[in-house]
Amino acid sequence: MKIETIEYKKYDEMVYKYEHSSGLKCIVVPKRGYYKKYATFSTQYGSVDNEFIIPGEKTKTKVPDGIAHFLEHKLFEQKDGSVMDKFAALGSRPNAFTSFNQTVYLFSCTDMFKENFDLLLNFVQNPYITEESVEKEKGIIAQEINMYRDNPGWRVSFNLLDALYKEHPVKLDIAGSIESIGRITKETLYKCYDTFYHPSNMVITVVGDVDYRQVFEQVEKNIKTAEKVSGIKRIYPEEGEGLNKKYSEQIMPVSTPLFYIGFKDSSLEPEGTEILKYDLAVKLLLSAIIGKSSELYTKLYDKGLINSTFEMDFSLEKSYAYSMLGGESINPEAVMELLVKEIKTIRDKGLEPSVFERLRRASKGRFLRQMNSVESISRSFINLYFKGVTMFDYLNVYDTIGFDYITDVFDKHFDIERMALSVVKNR
Amino acid sequence: MTNINTSGEKPDKISEINGIRIYNIKSDKFKTNTINIFFEDDLNINSVALNALFPSVLRRGCKGLPTIRDINLYLEELYGAVFDCGIVKKGERQIIQFYFEYVSDKYTSDGHRNFERAFEFLLNIIFNPHLQNGIFNEQYVEQEKNNLKMLVEGRTNDKVQYALDRCYELMCREEPFGLYEYGTARQIEGITARELYSHYKEKVLTLPADIFITGELSDTDTEFLIKRIRSIGRKGQKALSAAIVKSLPGKIKYYEDKMDINQAKLSLGFRTNITAKEDEYYALLVYNGILGGGMHSKLFQNVREKAGLAYYVFAGLEKFKGLMIIGSGIDIKEREHVKELILKELDEIQAGNITDYEFKATIKSLETGIQSLKDSQLQIVDFYLSQLTAGTHDTMEALLEKIKLVTKEEVIAVSKKIQLDTEYFLTANN
Repeated sequence: MKIETIEYKKYDEMVYKYEHSSGLKCIVVPKRGYYKKYATFSTQYGSVDNEFIIPGEKTKTKVPDGIAHFLEHKLFEQKDGSVMDKFAALGSRPNAFTSFNQTVYLFSCTDMFKENFDLLLNFVQNPYITEESVEKEKGIIAQEINMYRDNPGWRVSFNLLDALYKEHPVKLDIAGSIESIGRITKETLYKCYDTFYHPSNMVITVVGDVDYRQVFEQVEKNIKTAEKVSGIKRIYPEEGEGLNKKYSEQIMPVSTPLFYIGFKDSSLEPEGTEILKYDLAVKLLLSAIIGKSSELYTKLYDKGLINSTFEMDFSLEKSYAYSMLGGESINPEAVMELLVKEIKTIRDKGLEPSVFERLRRASKGRFLRQMNSVESISRSFINLYFKGVTMFDYLNVYDTIGFDYITDVFDKHFDIERMALSVVKNR
Repeated sequence: MTNINTSGEKPDKISEINGIRIYNIKSDKFKTNTINIFFEDDLNINSVALNALFPSVLRRGCKGLPTIRDINLYLEELYGAVFDCGIVKKGERQIIQFYFEYVSDKYTSDGHRNFERAFEFLLNIIFNPHLQNGIFNEQYVEQEKNNLKMLVEGRTNDKVQYALDRCYELMCREEPFGLYEYGTARQIEGITARELYSHYKEKVLTLPADIFITGELSDTDTEFLIKRIRSIGRKGQKALSAAIVKSLPGKIKYYEDKMDINQAKLSLGFRTNITAKEDEYYALLVYNGILGGGMHSKLFQNVREKAGLAYYVFAGLEKFKGLMIIGSGIDIKEREHVKELILKELDEIQAGNITDYEFKATIKSLETGIQSLKDSQLQIVDFYLSQLTAGTHDTMEALLEKIKLVTKEEVIAVSKKIQLDTEYFLTANN
């Protein structure tokens, strides 16, 4: 067994990596003194993967929206009943979630790790889907779709993505629509499973006070597939740089309007640590422009245009990237106007270099804080794993990112022509 | 890898000075340390909005750092330290929290002792606010009144939480517990800067307070801490009241709200007649777990999984006042059907129908829950603060041991004391 060890001495962290013959990757981050053991089994398969070419085939396959999420629900059912019950008997907490790009199965336990881990490894590899159970699941997922339709925070962010993107499936609800899930059948579910749940498209992470050798041995013993397969070809629609629309509005029962402003970014497909560098640069820029220590934030807060719900983030994936910022505001248009003015001023006068030294230090501190939580370590590893980097690679990027680079990223990303506003407000 | 020292995530009491109890929870497995300062008051209609408002004005500026921007520049220089304040409701107590988290000295390399800087900052925020003409800055007060009003009015945005809170509030509308911990828009509107300032001054000098520090404290740190606390001129301590625990007043109450929504919420509020102080509390914890505390529970298994009638359904306890709530998200048409199924599960427990699987999985799940608290500094602190509020003295280990001793018979006995008080339904217009 070939195990790769990486030590981050300065931060008292270690990472152990191992690759199974099937191409499955496995990562262990030991956390001494922790009680929780947090394990995930994930596939690089999310709501945006609706059109693809199956390895070995020549023609494209198109499947209904929401199928990755539907499959996630179905996997918990096994031939001998629900796997949930078996985890529950061990007192552990299984869960799963589907994002745009991944489906993640996980559990958190404080005792009997081996038994729990066996359950996880086995149920994800053994789907048991019947026509009857597919029909029943449609009712449950319809309830879930309804619940999210009532959630203004969810709506305002998806409406923003719908404004930013014309064609890309990132604009669609992860669970699909009641109409699209109606078209899902047992056969399409198995087709998607066989395509995307091959170990070479998957990763396992374990974070907690565990023995990494035992974890890897358990993986070795339990993975059924021995050979790798060639990659899946994913097909995304031609998106282009332009917006779908500049403004989106939805009427819902909210006391204060909710808003998000987004920037669509088309500088796609950076590789390796370049991803981290770009990601960090955009996040530092967001802080510099409208973060809590910026002049603009103070101005907006003093005018009562934003409050402590204000937040911002940046997402960078292979086929799309965008930043978003927002929260509650009595006047979202006024927030946008002041932001546009600020961006124009920076374009004329340039960025202030000294700001970034401070923000970099702050950002690094907040990054260290994330390492307190087994959940957030695991989440970061999964997100970055499929991009070929690890969470700890950030630490090098923090120390090497330069002002010229940040300036370039500003010019690329903060383009007013590719900015949209989404608002949810009361009648 | 270095060795990790922990004290089993238990607090050591360092000192008690002028009504301020100071605790240290040692642990070096975290990358950060935290300081929490809590001021505890009775939930009271006359002070609830004032108490909710003054921390958000304090957050705006202090001596030397008069604006939000100054504060955030300071936090960023301190390796991205995190500072916030807020309001917590525990039973009939309104607790004002000031929170600071900073990177441990061993991961910063400038040789400063960060504890001193952090603690000094928090004391400065609490005791030396930015003033104008001898009172709070009027502009800050007006802005924070607006923000607080928005928060209060925005409660309905999160329907899941709202349907639970609203049920409890309607159920206890004649008791302090029925007050929302952030007050009402009307109460907030009437507050003046002068009134708020004198209220604040009285409160920080007289309310009982607890300080929890997580992470390593050196002798020098402790000395500094005690000296600084002594220098605050506190004036005696307000005595707080115990929560009212009422039994069923008679008829079940029914309430309904309508909103523009797709999924209805049904909440059922119960009086358990048992608080955390009683011996039966441990059996109540197990009862609640069997009924609706996770995937193994009767409600989850039967109402959600078998009948497919709820997207979510669970039961939760309010241990300070002896209440229980069942929350569910359901189809609008299924109200009566779901209620019937839920109440049937309560009857099942009363009739003694508890399987070994349900019982054992509940105990195991409570164990996982308690052990997991130890991996979060905030949750460790919250656990011990709750012990103080409830007047109980269990460590996490002791709590776990007592839960493991609970028998099925005790659970059945507890189930007979639980009474439905209020039914609340949040449904669609038309």
